[in-house]
Amino acid sequence: MSKTTTADAAAERAAGKAKGPFFTEKKKSQFIDFLFVLPALLLLAVFTYYPVAKLVHISLTDWNLLNTEWNFVGLKNWKWLFTGTGAKYLWNSLKVTFLYSMGELFATIVGGMIFALLFKRMTKGFGAMRAIVFIPKYVAMSSCAVVFLWILNTDHGVLNYLLGLAGLPAVDWLNQKSTALLSVLITTSWRVYGYGMMIYLSAMMGISQQYYEAASLDGASKTEQFFKITLPLLSPTTLFLLVTTFLSSMKVFQSVDIMTSGGPSRATEVFVYLIYRYAMVDFRMDRAATSAVMFFIILLTITVATMRVSNGSVNYDS
Amino acid sequence: MRKLLSVVLAFSMFASLTACSGSTGSTGSATSAAATTAASGGAETEAAAESEAAEEGLYDVTEPISIVWWHALEDQYTDLVNEVVDGFNSSQDLITVEAQYIGAYADVNEALVAANAAGAGLPAVVVANTDYVASYGESGLFENLDPYIEATGYDVEDFSSGLLLSAQYSGKQVSLPFLHSTQVIYYNKGLADENGITIPTSIEDFDAFIEAGAKATGNYGLAVPGWDQWYFETLYLNEGVDIITDDNTCDLDSDTALGVTNMIKGWCDSGLAYLAYGTDASATMRQRFYDGEVFAVMHTSSLYNTYVDKCDFEVGMAWYPAASTGDMYSEVGGCVLGIPSKNDQATKNAAWVFLQYLCGKEVNMKWAEGTGYLPTRNSVLTTEEGEAFLEAKPAFQCIFDNLNLINPRIQNGAWSELATTWKNYMDTMINQGGDVASGSADMVEEINEILEDHA
Amino acid sequence: MAEDQIVIAKKKKHSAGYHVQTIVAVIVTLIMLFPLYWMIATSLKCAEEVQRVIPTLIPESIHFENYFNVLTRANFIKYYWNTIVMTAGILVLQVGTGTLAAYGFACGKFKGRNVLFYIVLGALMVPLQVTFIPIYIMCANWGLTDTFLGLILPESVSAYYIFMLRNCFLSIDQSYLDAGRIDGLGRFGIIWYVLIPMSKATIFTVTLVTFSNGWNAYFWPKIIAKNEVRRVLTVGLAQLKNTFAGQAVSNYHEIMAGAVLAILPLVILFLVFQKYMMTGYSKAAMK
Repeated sequence: MSKTTTADAAAERAAGKAKGPFFTEKKKSQFIDFLFVLPALLLLAVFTYYPVAKLVHISLTDWNLLNTEWNFVGLKNWKWLFTGTGAKYLWNSLKVTFLYSMGELFATIVGGMIFALLFKRMTKGFGAMRAIVFIPKYVAMSSCAVVFLWILNTDHGVLNYLLGLAGLPAVDWLNQKSTALLSVLITTSWRVYGYGMMIYLSAMMGISQQYYEAASLDGASKTEQFFKITLPLLSPTTLFLLVTTFLSSMKVFQSVDIMTSGGPSRATEVFVYLIYRYAMVDFRMDRAATSAVMFFIILLTITVATMRVSNGSVNYDS
Repeated sequence: MRKLLSVVLAFSMFASLTACSGSTGSTGSATSAAATTAASGGAETEAAAESEAAEEGLYDVTEPISIVWWHALEDQYTDLVNEVVDGFNSSQDLITVEAQYIGAYADVNEALVAANAAGAGLPAVVVANTDYVASYGESGLFENLDPYIEATGYDVEDFSSGLLLSAQYSGKQVSLPFLHSTQVIYYNKGLADENGITIPTSIEDFDAFIEAGAKATGNYGLAVPGWDQWYFETLYLNEGVDIITDDNTCDLDSDTALGVTNMIKGWCDSGLAYLAYGTDASATMRQRFYDGEVFAVMHTSSLYNTYVDKCDFEVGMAWYPAASTGDMYSEVGGCVLGIPSKNDQATKNAAWVFLQYLCGKEVNMKWAEGTGYLPTRNSVLTTEEGEAFLEAKPAFQCIFDNLNLINPRIQNGAWSELATTWKNYMDTMINQGGDVASGSADMVEEINEILEDHA
Repeated sequence: MAEDQIVIAKKKKHSAGYHVQTIVAVIVTLIMLFPLYWMIATSLKCAEEVQRVIPTLIPESIHFENYFNVLTRANFIKYYWNTIVMTAGILVLQVGTGTLAAYGFACGKFKGRNVLFYIVLGALMVPLQVTFIPIYIMCANWGLTDTFLGLILPESVSAYYIFMLRNCFLSIDQSYLDAGRIDGLGRFGIIWYVLIPMSKATIFTVTLVTFSNGWNAYFWPKIIAKNEVRRVLTVGLAQLKNTFAGQAVSNYHEIMAGAVLAILPLVILFLVFQKYMMTGYSKAAMK
């Protein structure tokens, strides 16, 4: 192998000078370089881009997985989504998804910041505590969800037991419209506090001590230092967290699926769960595809908007 | 910004390119093409069966084969499932059956429809809740068993006629009765005797019953399962609601239907009863009954043994009260067995042998004795065998008294989607403080759309 | 470092605030630890103890048979195997295709390189949660339901991995590459002997993130592998909650045993590679 590749390298060097009538050497080298990205591109074409086109296609049919045949129905599904009975569920899940995202953002950014300040001391004990606080990030969401199902259990959950000790009535956390989404958020936030903390802590390490020393000399209090120095200097980090968390929280599914199945009364039916339900429970591929295209448009719009805000300086995947 | 623009542009060009090539419909029709061939293949075998019914061997198993059986029998039935399957495997040499537990009936439905659409990973034999028969019959997912019955001379006359009927779709025997149950009320007999509570036979006396039950437990008088509409749909049917009318619309917003919904809501609003719905609803309801926190629950007769085992008090079993119309029908529950038609003939033949075994009287009685499932055979139900069964399980008297009142399910291809919508709205209207009139109107609008799409 | 010195300097005399912070931090840590503790404690209890009106903080008797039940009767041994193979497959493919593509985009010279790179980046905007319906149908038509290939293939390329690694490769000084070429290294030689050793830290952290995402994957496995044969741990755990004896009684002692089993490998990995895994995400953030 090394022989041929050596030849390649030589050819590549030669390619710069040789402006011969044949393109072979240079073109060949280019082609070999292209071959390196080809597998990834092919897989992306098959598993990312083609499906998007196919989705649009399905959204124009009446395809039900139960039936063996389908027909083109034009914009029927789109009418259903915007003006028919699909509309209220679309808006409902948009609202739920947005509320959920806000909750997760709050936990990651505000919670993460508070945790960072609380745990920032550089001692062994605090290092161990930081590790404990961070572990949940690596606890599988499904394990996390079932543990909180158990903690929040109506009759035998430890949380309701504690409420009982305090003389408060038991709460049917997951089956009640007013508390279901909150319960899912409690679960999520347990996983993200430590994550937000670590991101903020490593950014704080990067802030030069000179700022603080200068500020102390000017007689600024700790609180003033935090708001005048730390927060502004951390704004790129906050922006990063904001963008990545927002986009990943839009895609929430697992916790909802395990904890509430979108209920009660669709109070936790986030967008991905809505699509999933149409597709894999009702087998209405037509409705599911239409909703999925809608979801894609929303994600794209938000991504473009956030990229404009952050000027493309952050990458947007968790 | 320019970079971004080029990304979006490049992307959208790519998308539109693939969209063009995709819109020929070739890809989407791949499954439908496969399905059509399968369907026509089915028609052929059917035709062949008719002409060659006399010719033996078409449905014979000639070579060793392994087949898979999908079931929905929870962990508590595992030992019995193993016993039955082992019994079959050791009874003959050619067929080896592997039993796979898929999940609840809804899970089995999801997996089965998906596998059928994929045309791969289908089981040879599968259970189906009684309300999926129409859907599987209509779409041709289930093989028509009539030719098999004819060719092998399988005696179906011994099945109780109502059960046999509920396993048919438009006159075709697309499945056979396997494990059947019906809706009953379980109540805490110890508390009932202590407090002199009698079980009402009419719905008019039900309020008083719930109240007395709640007083006895100091908590709930009744729990109505909301996770499966089967448990409450009977209340509607007996009052004369059709659910799906003859002109293919839904009448769950009729005054009669609203009356029933308001009645259930009234029980729940009083705090004396509740509609069990949502996370852990089933497990919680049972646990509360075991713990004596709920006086009575509406549930399936199949769980009789489980209730008796788990409760340290005597468990009573009663028929649902008669509606104001005087009707006191119930609906058949449990599951039938079918053979997915996309399987190859060798698999189907092996499946048919196993299916006969599973539905046979001997296996059926194992279930009837070990669980709360009902005997499916006339030769048990109407003979001294039935009397012997009753002697062992006296609580089943209420079911045996009413055997002729057990109706088949409503059979409609859109039923599953309808039911999901209905359950959701029931939770909204009853548990989440929704308005019954407007909620029902919205629900019926949605259901009518579903029915129309399926027609 | 400066922070350390300041803390040391302060050590002489701690203010009241210092102690309050310590106490609050300890309490918060205990609260954060509780769900994990509760998971383990419940998993060791028996069915009766789980249903008590007053929960016991420490199990009265230890019941390891819950784990045994979950591993055998609920088939977690199989789910473990499925999860391991799936995660390994995803890891190998993502690292393989990703490293090659990152090299191509960072060091290769060919027409349309930038446009193609943007097409790769564009994939970040198209999550599986959008495209799963056509992919599911495609995989079904190819007979990939309930197979490892079906679990792995749709996740075989990570645009994120390519993006991170390409940036890392670009940051390596050109002179190293030239030196490699002069030494007679071909393309693969340069990737293997120059680029990868110089990007070890990035590759390691990104791979850890990939591993953790693969191990915890739920959405796609739930759709493509419904059958027990290829069910993964996360889906199996949700199933355990729905049905394994769950209809008859609450079986939270067994569910918790399943939850512990599902997280064990990652938590062990975390304890071993704690430093990398804690800074992994923040490194990604700083890029």
